[in-house]
Amino acid sequence: MNVWIKSLIYSVPILLVVFTIVAYLTWLERKFAARMQSRIGPYYVGRPHGWLQPLADVLKLIVKEEITPKNVDKLIFNLAPFVFLFAAMLVYTVLPFSENIIISDLSVGILAFIAISSLSIMGAFMAGWSSNSKYPLISAIRGGAQIVSYEIPLLLAIVAPCALAGSLKTTEIVKAQKLWFILYPVVGQISFLIFLIAGLAEENRTPFDIPEAESELVAGFTVEYSSMKFALFYAAEYAHLLALAGLGTVLFLGGWKGPFLPGPMWFAIKSLALFLFILWIRWSYVRLRIDQLLKFSWKFLFPAGVLNLLLTGLIIILK
Amino acid sequence: MEVQRISENGFEELWVNMGPQHPASHGVFRMQIKVEGENIKEVIPHIGYLHRGVEKLGETVNLVQFMPMLDRDDYLSAISNEFPLALAVEKLAGIEVPEKAEYLRVISAELMRIASHLVFLGTFCLDMGGALGGGTTIFLYTFREREKLLDIIEKWTGSRMHPNLISFGGVRYDLYPEFDKDLKTFLDDFEKKIEEYEGMLGNNSIFLARTKNVGILPKEVAMGYGCSGPVLRGSGIKFDLRKANPYSVYNKFEFEIPTGENGDVYDRYKVRMEEMKQSVRILRQAVDGIPEGPISSQMPVKVAAAVKAPAGEIYSAVESPRGENGVYLVSDGKPTAYRLKLRTPSFYNLSAIPYLLKGALIADVVAILGSLDPVFGDVDR
Amino acid sequence: MLRTLGITFKNLFRKPFTVMYPKKEREMPKRMRSPLFALTKDKDGIINCIACRLCQNICPSKIITVVPAKEKNEKGKLYPEKFELLVEACLACEYCVQVCPTDAIVMIRVFGWATDKKEDLILTKEKMLEVYDNYKDLISESTASFLRKMQTPPRKKEAEK
Repeated sequence: MNVWIKSLIYSVPILLVVFTIVAYLTWLERKFAARMQSRIGPYYVGRPHGWLQPLADVLKLIVKEEITPKNVDKLIFNLAPFVFLFAAMLVYTVLPFSENIIISDLSVGILAFIAISSLSIMGAFMAGWSSNSKYPLISAIRGGAQIVSYEIPLLLAIVAPCALAGSLKTTEIVKAQKLWFILYPVVGQISFLIFLIAGLAEENRTPFDIPEAESELVAGFTVEYSSMKFALFYAAEYAHLLALAGLGTVLFLGGWKGPFLPGPMWFAIKSLALFLFILWIRWSYVRLRIDQLLKFSWKFLFPAGVLNLLLTGLIIILK
Repeated sequence: MEVQRISENGFEELWVNMGPQHPASHGVFRMQIKVEGENIKEVIPHIGYLHRGVEKLGETVNLVQFMPMLDRDDYLSAISNEFPLALAVEKLAGIEVPEKAEYLRVISAELMRIASHLVFLGTFCLDMGGALGGGTTIFLYTFREREKLLDIIEKWTGSRMHPNLISFGGVRYDLYPEFDKDLKTFLDDFEKKIEEYEGMLGNNSIFLARTKNVGILPKEVAMGYGCSGPVLRGSGIKFDLRKANPYSVYNKFEFEIPTGENGDVYDRYKVRMEEMKQSVRILRQAVDGIPEGPISSQMPVKVAAAVKAPAGEIYSAVESPRGENGVYLVSDGKPTAYRLKLRTPSFYNLSAIPYLLKGALIADVVAILGSLDPVFGDVDR
Repeated sequence: MLRTLGITFKNLFRKPFTVMYPKKEREMPKRMRSPLFALTKDKDGIINCIACRLCQNICPSKIITVVPAKEKNEKGKLYPEKFELLVEACLACEYCVQVCPTDAIVMIRVFGWATDKKEDLILTKEKMLEVYDNYKDLISESTASFLRKMQTPPRKKEAEK
């Protein structure tokens, strides 16, 4: 009983907070990208600087007509955005916002995160397959190939800090970081780099946004979606990206730890910084090609991850 | 009816439409692509969505009146459309052109060349990087510079895209007083910006991986398809009408013709980048050497019927940003052309696309199409 | 790879290039060609146009119709009874302005008068006279006399000297 109450108390506000933050992240991204491109960005909806823009965006998407194409597989078509969102939101259960604020402190927290987050491809694949259209189909197949290739380097990169901490529990990992793992000589940086690249690929972000590649596949698996269903995909993607930034914070940046400010604040600041860094990468590079992407994963990231893991093991033994 | 779609290798084949409404179709271009997985087996291009009958229009209105319509042909570099018609009529009718007018023509043509190549660079990166990624960033950087450049053209001629500057016997507008200063400020700034673009793309291994050894167009094939301009030069053939058949006052300026080696997408990109630098070089020489004098040897427009080309036929061509842009004019002595044929470079460059795309991947389609830099006003006329 | 990031970072601190249009308008160049036309009047408020129909003949898209009046006005000149210009097909080539012998038709340097009504795109004589009253200060620098002065070729006699 206790568990149920605790989950309810934590999950409802966390869900609300995450949704609000996700809405505002779109604003942040638009502003950030605009400044990077010598533009101003959202300005008129809500002074100063269009702070009501996310609300307007959401309203616009709600008001839009909901179109279900004729020949789609209706059940799967309608289910897909929810599966996608579900996978993105569920990962927040294992993220420790501070020492005590965590929905469920699983003993295999990191593993659960990875397992759940790879579920999102199910949503994408369902959307792509059920749309009964060519672009989404190609996109879904690309997405599948991509996630299969990048799951492994991502796991290999994550195992290194876990091994250093000696635990798969997210809170334990943070507690074990006397020194942030990203500052750990050699191993820390290599695994952070692999984590970042593989994470970007798993979230379909530029330069790895092959499944969405709108100059080739128009909008990937979301081509046939409109209105709120499309918004769900969009929100889920951002939520997922934010979760990934959170995971990066937990694994490499010392989680909630920090002087003066309370834990959740530090967690938020670090996650946001990581998120902005990801945006910075996104708005700077052009896209890779699918074969290059897979080659990069199997021929470079995978061996690098294995070597990094070996090195980590060596360090632990020598200690 | 069951359609057999399984190929010999056991893959399912799929016909995918790209365009006419597609994020990466430059203008309105439709390609039917037969794909086997990600590999392209066959391409059927469809053109003609922007056909406006410009050539026929040229036979119905007077030559003078046709000039502003010709601006709309290749709308990214209007001057290079006006230029060949003016050259043709002047040669046929024996109209002299004052030297100052020649200089102004060259300056405007080179400004438009830079503007056009900036659009190429921006849209090319937009195709490669996507609307939500690094591509947009470069796209907006290039358009920022283009905006400054178009401002100069607007101050000069009053119009940004369709200046209608060249008239038979000279140009229609003299420079405005601060032109020298404006242009030099722009050029100084622009040279730094070219470095920036090259820094962003030339060191970017993702960009290099996407462009190098992709869409290789061998010399012989390029010549066979009648390609010209940066596409031909990217394949390693040093052919530029400004050097090969110097028109106007191009033989007074020092500049080089950049060429590529492999004829791949990267070479075509590189050639255009170098060409922008050469254009800056020409502009610097030209703006310092503008002679004094009249800008026109006859009143440009009095009555439309006043400008007549004597009976005869003539072909004249200039080097537009896309290649050889020519006008074939048959005149029977009336103010209206008897027959007018435009040799537009984009059409010939684009005709190589079935050859280039065969065996490429879906992702290469946008890179290759972007590297040919077609303008569909120019292709469909 | 890192240089790309560096350049985008540098641009993060550059001033935005955007002109916030409805609030702040771009300065329109003096010679701007915009397809909003006006018919000028002289000091006494009498229309300058002498209905010579040169503009009607030169117009590439044939959108100008001039019908001269039967009688002459108080200055003893012809004047147009009807002057109609269909802006929807205007190329903004400026030929009509250029050929005008009396500087009667001019372009107005105004931006953003887009409309969704087709009637607004038909400029009649009355409308163009009204435009002249409203935008007297915004007449484009390139009028017929200005262009003629700029383009005048050397006289043959002078050239021979």
